[in-house]
Amino acid sequence: MDKIKITMIVNKQSVEAEIEPYARLLDVLRDDFGFTGVKEGCSIGECGACTVLMNGKKVNSCMVLAAQADGCEIVTIEGIEGPDGKLHPIQEAFVEAGAVQCGFCTPGMVISSYKLLSENQDPSEDDIKEAISGNLCRCTGYKQIVDAVKLAAEKMKK
Amino acid sequence: MIRFDYKKPASIEACLDLLNYYQGKAKLFAGGTDLMVEFRAEDEKLKDIEVVIDISCIAELKFIESAGEYIRIGSCTTFAEISENPILRKYAPFFCEAGKSVGSPQIRNTGTIGGSIGTASPASDPAPPLVAMDSSLTILSSEGKRDVLLSEFIEGAYRTNIRPNELIVSIHFKKLNPEAGFSFVKLGRRKALAIARMNVAVYVETDKNGIVIDVRIVPGSCMPVTKRITEAEHMFLGQIPDYELHEAIGKKVSETMVGVTGKRWSTPYKEPVIASLVKRALNQATGIKENG
Repeated sequence: MDKIKITMIVNKQSVEAEIEPYARLLDVLRDDFGFTGVKEGCSIGECGACTVLMNGKKVNSCMVLAAQADGCEIVTIEGIEGPDGKLHPIQEAFVEAGAVQCGFCTPGMVISSYKLLSENQDPSEDDIKEAISGNLCRCTGYKQIVDAVKLAAEKMKK
Repeated sequence: MIRFDYKKPASIEACLDLLNYYQGKAKLFAGGTDLMVEFRAEDEKLKDIEVVIDISCIAELKFIESAGEYIRIGSCTTFAEISENPILRKYAPFFCEAGKSVGSPQIRNTGTIGGSIGTASPASDPAPPLVAMDSSLTILSSEGKRDVLLSEFIEGAYRTNIRPNELIVSIHFKKLNPEAGFSFVKLGRRKALAIARMNVAVYVETDKNGIVIDVRIVPGSCMPVTKRITEAEHMFLGQIPDYELHEAIGKKVSETMVGVTGKRWSTPYKEPVIASLVKRALNQATGIKENG
């Protein structure tokens, strides 16, 4: 099996790698490029901890072959930041609302919230629940996360 | 993880050439949402696979088009695209609902209708509305084209009659009457991400006197092959929708299910539940309020 050469834009930086044809995007992001904010939870597309944006769409990076991502633009949690290079308003809101407990689901939750708020500046509670329905959290019971997304929406309006 | 080579054909023709070359040693990869799980689990049935043919980027397989009386959907159309499509929302809203209940937003962004049909899970969400619409598949190989009814293509749980050199290109069905009643009801463990325990798709068309002139009742996840329950449909034709009648039709569907599957450990649960889901779907489609 020959390795495949791929080029992607990850968090606005062009990157190249030689990968195994059966490698998952999740592994390449973590092991080849060091984006360890992308978490491996269930590995079967249920928990959403490995969620990234691929050409602007939310995907589970454990369900995507790295070879498929050749030529694609990827955003991981490392690419989410505020205008000053510090925390993004969504991340600030997660901290302030107590939405981070063990923290393992947080990268995926933030990506899903980021995607929602980039399309809908004024989401209802149902919109928020739908947006994070592919992300599991076993600590918070979700209330603090929903509160955090509402708070983030407020912050981003300012 | 199963190890394989990776090919990404740019066209249907290039894909058919690859299938012809590799025959049974190739696996078509559309959204990958079932396959990635099986690769990782090193599923026994994939042990001879040498190459994965990624068709997710073949533009010719991604479309939803309205042509006269028919709607045709390319096999690599995702569930996200299906659930939001205005043509489908008008003529087949229960199919959009079923598409919307697949997996999670992340899964719906990659999972495709062709992949789902090819996998032939008996707990499929899109299968009941597609069978209700008597959908047919168009399948291509380098030898030619064939059209086959979805209900005949799927032969059992995870079993279809696709040949190693064939590619599902599209699925098509006749537009239904947008004024008629549609319902898709799903019972899962939770709202998102649940594999269906049971689901039902129902279509009810009445004439100006309120008499049923067309009806489709398709329960899913309760029999090896998803099909219309014609015995139950006949009970409804020529009648006026009514709560008690819906209850009786629900019982008929569950009797038919038990007739097919026999009494199993799960029957005492499934028998009343499928009856109740069918009743609920018929009530929803005809605007009759549920008791309590």
